Amino acid sequence: MSRSEPSERTNVVEEEGADLTAEFGFEPAVSVTGGEPAAAPAPTDSGATRRRSRTRVRRKLSAFAILVAALGMMGGTYAVFASSSGAADSSDMAASITHGKQLYELSCITCHGQNLQGVKNQGPGLVGVGAAAVYFQVSTGRMPATGQSAYVPRKTPKFTEQETEDLANYVQSLGGGPTIPKGTLEGDAASIALGGEEFRINCASCHGVTFKGAPLSAGKQAPSLNDATVKQMYAAMISGPGTMPVFSNNEITLAQKRAIIAYVMTIKSSDDPGGSGIDRIGPVSEAIVIWVGGVGLLMIVILWIGAKSQ
Amino acid sequence: MSTTDETPDVVSHSTSSELSSPTGHNEENRPTAEELREMTAEERMLAGAAVDGVYVVHRRERFPIRGTKAEKRAERGVAACFIIAALAGVAFIVCFCALPWHWHLPGTPQNFRFYTPALGGLFAILMLFMGIGLVLWAKWLMPEEEVVQDRHDIASSEEDKLMTEATLAVGLADTGLPRRSMILRSLGLAGGAFATVPLIALIGGMIKKPGDQLFHTLYRRNKKMFPGTDGRVPLVYSDWRQVSPDDLQPGSIATVFPGVRQDDENGFNGLTSASSPVIVIRLRPGQVVHARKGQAGFGWPATNPEYVAFSKICTHAGCPASLYEQQTTRLLCPCHQSQFEVLEDAKPVFGPATRSLPKLPLDVVAGSDGRQYFVARDDFDEAIGPGFWERP
Amino acid sequence: MTTTQPRRDNKPRTPQGKAAAWGDERLRVAGPLRNQLNKVFPDHWSFMMGEIALYSFIILLLTGTYLTFFFDPSMAETIYPKNGTYVPMRGIEMSQAYKSTLDITFDVRGGLVIRQIHHWAALLFLAAMLIHMFRVFFTGAFRKPRELNWLIGLGLIGLGIVEGFAGYSLPDDLLSGTGLRIADAIMKSIPIVGSWVSFTVFGGPFPGHLIIGRLYIVHVLLIPGILLALIGAHLALLVRQKHTEFPAPGHTEHTVSGERIFPTYAAKAGGFFFIVFAACSALGGLAQINPVWLFGPYEPRAVSSGSQPDWYMMFLDGSTRLFPSWEIRLWGYDLPPLFWPTVVLPGILFTLAGAYPFIEAKMTKDRAIHHLLQRPRDVPVRTSLGVMAITFYLVLFLSGGNDLIAKAFDISLNAMTWGGRIALLILPPIAYTLAYRVCLGLQRHDREVLEHGLETGIIKVLPTGEFIEVHQPLGPTDHHGHGTLSYSGTPVPKRMGELGAMSPIKHVRGFLWPVKEKPEIQAALDEYEEQERAALESHSSDQHELTD
Repeated sequence: MSRSEPSERTNVVEEEGADLTAEFGFEPAVSVTGGEPAAAPAPTDSGATRRRSRTRVRRKLSAFAILVAALGMMGGTYAVFASSSGAADSSDMAASITHGKQLYELSCITCHGQNLQGVKNQGPGLVGVGAAAVYFQVSTGRMPATGQSAYVPRKTPKFTEQETEDLANYVQSLGGGPTIPKGTLEGDAASIALGGEEFRINCASCHGVTFKGAPLSAGKQAPSLNDATVKQMYAAMISGPGTMPVFSNNEITLAQKRAIIAYVMTIKSSDDPGGSGIDRIGPVSEAIVIWVGGVGLLMIVILWIGAKSQ
Repeated sequence: MSTTDETPDVVSHSTSSELSSPTGHNEENRPTAEELREMTAEERMLAGAAVDGVYVVHRRERFPIRGTKAEKRAERGVAACFIIAALAGVAFIVCFCALPWHWHLPGTPQNFRFYTPALGGLFAILMLFMGIGLVLWAKWLMPEEEVVQDRHDIASSEEDKLMTEATLAVGLADTGLPRRSMILRSLGLAGGAFATVPLIALIGGMIKKPGDQLFHTLYRRNKKMFPGTDGRVPLVYSDWRQVSPDDLQPGSIATVFPGVRQDDENGFNGLTSASSPVIVIRLRPGQVVHARKGQAGFGWPATNPEYVAFSKICTHAGCPASLYEQQTTRLLCPCHQSQFEVLEDAKPVFGPATRSLPKLPLDVVAGSDGRQYFVARDDFDEAIGPGFWERP
Repeated sequence: MTTTQPRRDNKPRTPQGKAAAWGDERLRVAGPLRNQLNKVFPDHWSFMMGEIALYSFIILLLTGTYLTFFFDPSMAETIYPKNGTYVPMRGIEMSQAYKSTLDITFDVRGGLVIRQIHHWAALLFLAAMLIHMFRVFFTGAFRKPRELNWLIGLGLIGLGIVEGFAGYSLPDDLLSGTGLRIADAIMKSIPIVGSWVSFTVFGGPFPGHLIIGRLYIVHVLLIPGILLALIGAHLALLVRQKHTEFPAPGHTEHTVSGERIFPTYAAKAGGFFFIVFAACSALGGLAQINPVWLFGPYEPRAVSSGSQPDWYMMFLDGSTRLFPSWEIRLWGYDLPPLFWPTVVLPGILFTLAGAYPFIEAKMTKDRAIHHLLQRPRDVPVRTSLGVMAITFYLVLFLSGGNDLIAKAFDISLNAMTWGGRIALLILPPIAYTLAYRVCLGLQRHDREVLEHGLETGIIKVLPTGEFIEVHQPLGPTDHHGHGTLSYSGTPVPKRMGELGAMSPIKHVRGFLWPVKEKPEIQAALDEYEEQERAALESHSSDQHELTD
C-alpha cells in the first residue's frame, strides 16, 4: 500500500526465486518456465519409463526446442532476465533511466505530460503507476495509443524489450509503484493445479476458463490471454491496467500468482486430446459445428440417398 | 415385364371397393395354394404383395443383361466399399492397441493428441463405407421399383362402429355403473386416493422446507464459533487466510468467504456454501459511494467508505457476478450481462437484473499480529441471490 | 389363411426354411411378416430427417450404456490423486462425478472418443428432431389424421431438451454447474411454490449433495424410457397411418408410393444408419466437445465468462438476456423477471406449437383427411408463420451467444442486447411479409411457366425485326399457344435440363474410352434396348393420363 512496500516485496520475491532455482528440472513443463540453461538437461534419475527409452540427444534436442519455445512465448524476455539478473549495478540503472527519459520525451510526453502529471482529456498521470504498469502497456503495444477509445486493443509493440524496460525504469524512478520482480514468474509443475484453482476464482470470470476474454460493458473488453507473456500477465495482475482490478501480492500471494501464470502457460501450450479444440469456445462453436458439419453434411447425404438413380 | 399389365389396375384403383373392405386385404384377389405353386417365385411375391394391397407398378432389373462390364463395375464398387470398411476396422484395432494415449504436460511429446482423432476417424471410415456400400448396393444393383400401396387408415367401417359401440354400451350397462351412483362415487374416491397416494409419498419424501434458509448466510453472527469478535464472522480468502484492508490496493477486488470451517446443517462450510461468495472492492481515491437507504454505514470506514462488500451471487439468476471494471466501477454478470453500478450500491443499470446486489456490512478487528482484519458486522439485511416469491 | 398352413406336401428342406417353419408354427407370422416387408416408403429425401433423429437416439443408447460403466454419479468430495494423469487437476478437490468424467477422458482407453460421440450424437438428436419438425410443419404433414403424431413429436423434443440438459449437467463441471445454478434460479422464480420446488429438487439449498444422483437416474432411466416409449408410439402411428407423400403423377390420397422396405429401402435405411453413426464418430474423433478438464470442477464461487448452454437451450439463455428488468410485486410478494423468459415463454412456444394443427384446422375449416403434402409456397400463410417463428427463435438463439458475437465482431455488449431486443420485435413481422411475398412470387412463376412454357435461352428475330425468346411449352397448348396444364401442387420444371434436354451424367460413361462388351452380351443389350424403345412408345399415351 504505502510507497515503501515495493522494495520489501522485491526482497520476498528474490527469496522465493532462489527457492525455485533449486526446483528446476523437476517435471516436464518446468523447462517452459524459461529458466536458466543449466536447467535444460532433464533429470537423469527421472523414473518415467516412457521417457527413458528416448536417447539423450533427443532429450537435449527437445529441451532445446522447449527453451526456444519458451523464449518465443516470453517475447524474448529471457535475454533481459539473464543480463539484468547477473549484474544490475547502479550505473546501468542510471543509463537505463536516462535512455527511458529520452524515449518518454519522444513518444509519451504529449499525452502524459512533462512531469508525468498527465494531460487533461489526453492521458492520465503516471506518477506512482510503477514500472509494471508501464511494462504492460508498452510491451503489449497498447501504448503509445493511437486514439481514445473505450478499449485499447493489443498491437505490435513499438519499442524493443530493452527500450520498454528503460521506459519502465524511468517512470519507476519518478514516484515508484508496483514493479516486476526479477527471477522467474512462472511456477513449477507442482503448482499448476493450485494455479488453476486460483485462476477459476479470480480470473476466469473475465478472461474465461479457456482464456478467450470477454466483452465488458459498453465496448470495453477483457482481452484474451493467448498472446500474453509470463511477464505481461504478472504486470497486469500487479498493476491493474485499464479497467482490470489490481491484485496485490497480499491478496493473491506471489506464489499464487506464479501458479496462476504456470497454469495459463501450461493450458495454452497443451494440445487438445479430443481432436480439434474448435477454438475452445465451448457450446457456441459446438453449435456451429453440429449445424454446419453435422446436419449440413447429413442433408447432402440424404439428398444423395433420395435421388433417383438412372 | 410381367408387372406392367398391373398398371391400369392401380391407377384406376377403385376406392369404393377398397374402403368397404373391413380387413384391408383384397380377399377376392387371394390366389389358392394350388395356383401359387404353379407360379414362379417372382409371381408369387407379386401376388403376396397384391394381397397386402401393395402393387408393383414398375419393376426393372438394373442390369437386365447379366455379365456386362457395367454390372461388374458396379459389383466391384460395392465390394470395394465393404473392403475399405473392413480395412478401417483392422486399422482401428491396431491404433486402439498401439497408439500412445496418456496425457502429458506440454514440453513433452504431445502425441496423445492423435489418439482420439485416429479412433474416431477410423471408426467413422468403417461406418461410412459400410453405409455407402449398402446404399450403393441398393442404388446400383437392386431392381428399380415403383410400388404403390393402398392406405387403409380411413375411419372404421360402419358395421364395426355399430358393433363396437354396442359392445361398449352393453358392457357398461352390465356393470350397472350408470344406475349405481353410490358405487361410482365411492370408486371415484378410491381411484383418487390411488392416484394421489404414490404421488404424495414420492414428493413428500423429497420435499424440503426452505424455512428461513434463503434469508440467512454463514455471515450470520456466531458467538459460539467466534467469541473473540463478539460473534462477528471473519472474512477469509479461498485458502482460509484472513482478509486485511491492507491487502487491497485502490481498484482491487477480492473474492472472500465467511471463515466458518465447520460444516453447517446442510454439509457446507464457508468456502463451499453457495450463498457465501462476496466480493470486497477497494475503491480508488475520488470514487464515492451513494449508499442505498439503510446501508449507509455498511462500508468501511463507516463514513466515506473506501471498502465495500457485495454478495457475488447475481440477483438475477445466481451466477457469480464478478467482472469488475475498476475505472468505471461497473460489476458485470457473465451469464446474462446484467451490469451493476458499484458507486450506487451495486444498483442494476443494464440487463435483466432488477435488484441491487446485497451489501455486506463490514467492520475490522485487530488480529494477534497487530494487523487489522475484516469481519462481517452481521449477515446481509436481505436475501441474497435470485428472486423468489417470498422475498420481500 | 392358406399361406400360414403347414405345407405338408412341400416341407422345407433348407436350414433357413426349417427355421422359418419353426417360427411360423409357433408365432403364425407369415402373413403379418410379409405385410411389413412389403410396406412402402416414399423415397423423397426430406423423409429421412426423422431417421437421423432415430439413429442418433440409438447411438446415444449404445454410447450412453458404455459410459455408465465408468461414470460415478456422486457428489461426494474427493481429491484428484497427486499422481493423476491430468496434471493440472492434481490435488484439486472435486466431486466423484467430475473425477470419474476425468477418468473416462484420461484413464479409460478410448473413453474420450465415446464420450465425445455421445455428446455430439445428443446435439445431432435434437437438431435432427428440429429440422424434421420444420419439414412436417412446412409441408402440412401434421394435418388430420396426424395431429397425434405431431403432439408426440413435440413431446419428444421437449423431453429431449430436458434429457440433454440433465446429461450436460452430470459431469459437475464449472460450466454445467453454472447451468444448474441458473436452473435453480428458474425454479425459484415460479410463483408461490418456487423456493419449495428448488429445495425439493436439490434436497436443500442449492447445490445440495443429491442433484447429480437424481439427474443421473433421470438421464439414464426415466427420460430414456419415456423417450423410447414415445418413439415406439411415433413409429407405430407412422406404420398405422402410413407415410405422407408429395403430390406427383400417380400419387393419390388413397395410396402411398415409393420403395418396399425389403430389400431396397432396408438397404438404404440401414446404410444411412451407418452413415449417421459415421458422422457422429467423425465429430467425436475430430472435434473436441465439452472439454470439462479445461472448465474445472464446479464451485459456487467461480464462473467463467462466455458461459453458454448447449445449443438447444441457447434460445432460453437468449430470451433471458434480452428480457427487460421487469420485476412485479404482488401483495407484498415477488415475481422475479426470470419467470417470464424461462418459464412462461417456452410454455407459450410449446403450447402454440402443440395447438397449431387444431388452430389451423379451425381457421381454414379444413376437416378432411390429408395424405398428400403441400408445397410450402402453396400455403403462404402457414409458411410465413413458420418463417416468422423460426426468425423469432433465431434471434433468441443468437442472443444466447451475444457476448461471443460482441467479442468476435468488436460490438458493444450493450448494443448487442439492445439490438437483440429490437430485432426480436421487428424481424419476425418482416420475415412474415417477406416469406409471404416470396411464396406468392413462386406461385405466380409456376403458373406462368405452365401457361407460357420454359425459357429456352434461344432468341429469335421475327421478320418484323422484333426479338423474342423461344419458349418450350410443358404440355399441349391451346390455339393461343398457351399451355393447357393446370397447377396440381407438384414441382414445375424451371429449366430445360429438368425436361431431360441435357443430362451430363449420361455422357460420362464411355467418355474416355468406349465401353466394349463381349459380342454375345452386346447383342443381348442391343436387343433389349430395342424392346425398351418399343415399350416406351406404346406406353407414352398412359403417361399423359397420369400427368393430368
